[in-house]
Amino acid sequence: MIWVGWRQQRAEAAIVAAMLAGLAVVLLPTGLNVASAFDAGHLASCTGARPSQSCQQAVDQFLVRFNGLGGLIAWLTLLPGLVGTVLAAPLLVSLEQGTQRLDWTQSITRRRWLVTKLGLAAAAAVVAAGVLVLLVTWWRMPFVRLQGRMDNSVFDSEGTVVLGYTLFALGLCTLVGVLWRRAVPALMVGFAGYFAVRILFDTVVRQHLLSPLQATWRADGPAPASAQHAWVLRQFPSDRLGHLAPFDISCAHGPAIATNCPSKPVGGYMHAVYHPASHFWPLQGIETAIFGGVGLAMLAFAAWWVHERVS
Amino acid sequence: MSAISTQGLGKRYGSKWALRDCTIEVPEGSVTALVGPNGAGKTTLLQLAVGLTRPSAGDVTVLGLSPRDPALLARVGFVGQEHPLHRGFTVAETLKLGRKLNPGWDDALAHERVQRLDLPLDRTVGRLSGGQRAQVALTVAVAKRPELLLLDEPVASLDPLARREFLNSLMEAVSETGLTVILSSHIVAELERVCDHLVILAEARAELAGPIDEIVAGHRLLTGPRTEATAVARMHDVIRERHTERQTTLLVRANGHVYDADWELHEVDLEEIVLAYLGYGASRPLAEAVAR
Repeated sequence: MIWVGWRQQRAEAAIVAAMLAGLAVVLLPTGLNVASAFDAGHLASCTGARPSQSCQQAVDQFLVRFNGLGGLIAWLTLLPGLVGTVLAAPLLVSLEQGTQRLDWTQSITRRRWLVTKLGLAAAAAVVAAGVLVLLVTWWRMPFVRLQGRMDNSVFDSEGTVVLGYTLFALGLCTLVGVLWRRAVPALMVGFAGYFAVRILFDTVVRQHLLSPLQATWRADGPAPASAQHAWVLRQFPSDRLGHLAPFDISCAHGPAIATNCPSKPVGGYMHAVYHPASHFWPLQGIETAIFGGVGLAMLAFAAWWVHERVS
Repeated sequence: MSAISTQGLGKRYGSKWALRDCTIEVPEGSVTALVGPNGAGKTTLLQLAVGLTRPSAGDVTVLGLSPRDPALLARVGFVGQEHPLHRGFTVAETLKLGRKLNPGWDDALAHERVQRLDLPLDRTVGRLSGGQRAQVALTVAVAKRPELLLLDEPVASLDPLARREFLNSLMEAVSETGLTVILSSHIVAELERVCDHLVILAEARAELAGPIDEIVAGHRLLTGPRTEATAVARMHDVIRERHTERQTTLLVRANGHVYDADWELHEVDLEEIVLAYLGYGASRPLAEAVAR
């Protein structure tokens, strides 16, 4: 059955491989470029909490130069959904064309057919997610050393969450497809659903997965070390008595603690609520478990549905 | 033992019964035609027998086992409607699928058939003609070496020449391997040449089942002066009656001999019997009346 399962989805596997290969063709040269610019600017010495003036200048120069590329890379967060959608297609197309009736009337059980087909799709999803994470993580290493990886656009495409996202998209598309029994619209709805859930997590859910830290420090003094490269949820200044002071909106949000807020009240305090960089792996773990778990549960339910309900 | 035996078998989709109260026996070693108009429940009956769907009512046993029994999988071959095959597979890959998924696969038989039928091994299934596709599907089902082979409308999509070739190669397979075969069709022509048993399904029910020679021998066409059929109906089952101004024609299933000097007896062929059961015959007098 493994040969049959592979033969039935090798076209989709080739599409995914081609997507990743195309990505590698773009990322490898530009990534080498970024890395050599990082080395040429001696930016490795500028990653501390309090960079020197010359460092600050070199870092700004580097970031301005590669800002556009970094923004494009952020779009790769759609790729896990696309991979999951493509890998869900073979089963749905088979059910739409009725070819499962050929396979099921050979000498193998439906259970074995389903386990092989969905197992191969899930394995391909894991491999693709792994390659994607390795590529993007390597490419973005210089940026991460300067800016950390707690920002949504970075967090979403590093670590283990990509694996969870891919399995989630695979499970969602498969489930919608076996219930609806129309492959193409189901895949489109599945992808849209994946995107909607991802936006919900980025904007609302993720920050509540762990309780954030709170810190207060003298406005003319340094921010606490744990705030470096942190994901700042709220930041506001107060006067000496703790009354909220008027502040610039640009100081209230942002990926990092703002160090040059114009309305910084002299003699007052800064307050921040944030997820420190040390929350990266715990947050990754929780989110991976949620997406991966729900994705696998949807796959299992889709398999049960096909086993019991499809003729 | 029966190849297939059903007891009050029924299948409902929503509120509509696709098959209802179906009780039939198909003996082992027979070649049985399952005949009925489109929508009569033929596909449903076959899919129930091969375990693709589950019954809403009643029971079906196949070779003495429940259709979903894993032990049955290797013993029953199936060719579905429109010959479902993977369109992107080549013929050779389709045979490889059969080899990989069937422990009892007869590769020599499969390749011998493909060669004899001149099927191009390296062409994808999607680029074959309808007749060639049907032959590939039959080859996979036969090389599996099943004891029972079910075919759902195997010739419906074929032109008359391909239909004849398909049925010929099916008969060859039957004579070589001693298969029990059930094939459904809404086309009656040619079936008599191939089949020895008949099951007629109409409006989701089994109307008639038995050996074809007994069926043909048991039916008579009676013609006589115009009259009502009540006297005959007391003795025999009147399947269809037709009246013209002066003459009445009855198709009856005779219970014993028909002794009646008023009627002239004729033999009927299978096609006419089947059509009568399917109700096509009943609408003919109306058509004639309209024509006049």
